[in-house]
Amino acid sequence: MSFLAWLESSALATAVAETLWAYPLLETLHALGMAMLLGALGLINLRVLGYKPELPLAGTQDLLPLAWIGFTLNAVSGIALFTSDAIHFFGSYTFRIKLVLIVLAGLNALLVGRRIFHEPALEPAIQAGIGTRAFAAASLVFWIGAAVAGRLIAYAP
Amino acid sequence: MTETLIWLESTAIARAIREIPWMYAAFETTHYLGLAMLVGGIMLIDLRLLGFARRLPLPPMLGLLPWVWAGFATNVVTGSLMFVYGATSFGTKRMFWLKMALMALAGLNALVFSVALARSGGQWVAAGRAPAPIKLVATLSLALWLGVMTAGRWMAYA
Repeated sequence: MSFLAWLESSALATAVAETLWAYPLLETLHALGMAMLLGALGLINLRVLGYKPELPLAGTQDLLPLAWIGFTLNAVSGIALFTSDAIHFFGSYTFRIKLVLIVLAGLNALLVGRRIFHEPALEPAIQAGIGTRAFAAASLVFWIGAAVAGRLIAYAP
Repeated sequence: MTETLIWLESTAIARAIREIPWMYAAFETTHYLGLAMLVGGIMLIDLRLLGFARRLPLPPMLGLLPWVWAGFATNVVTGSLMFVYGATSFGTKRMFWLKMALMALAGLNALVFSVALARSGGQWVAAGRAPAPIKLVATLSLALWLGVMTAGRWMAYA
């Protein structure tokens, strides 16, 4: 708790809470990062699941920088938003669910992400293995769940 | 104008949204997912037109447009319902009308794109390289939708 209170009293937290434009700016960046992350990972995962087989799976790797920029943008803006009201956010179950979903999505990407691009299924006509497809579906569920939980923090306990 | 806004807020739809718990939160969350489809899809298409991710052929990337339309339709519906709920508050905000104006410009820009695609698309879509005017349209599209998002978020504070 004392760490959270210290966070809330930090210069960053004070700036976010007291500057008129800082909070909406950070929220806008957070929504933009979400669209980049979900757009890029959404297409890669749907492609693994068999959507748009005309897209070479190997080529979808070029979308990863977009996902990383979105993730970084959201880590930075998310931390800044968190510090401004650290005790409230930490106490919110919806916020905790969101963090768990992000950790699950991250583990999923770490364990399976690489495998996707090293499979023989890189050729358009070949279907990805059932295991890989299951992880792609899980990735979609985790990220969409994180976005939904994030939006609901303002309403749910 | 003001009477219309007051009347909107007194309709059965507005009252239902006010009285049913979680209704507004559900609309906002759906609006957020619609934004992900709309802006996520537009970003993938526009960035590809600008030359990013060249290994992905253009025709299937342009085939992502139904996602953009689905996101747009979702957000017109949820956005209209949220507007009715808070008509006198939203309708008097400059940020709200800025958002609408930017959306109109983005729509006009999309119209220019579809006309250009119908006229000259045959020459460059298969080749996978968009000509300079199309790249300009793609850049404008990214800027306008970013503006729509920004004005939308700012509305809550202005």
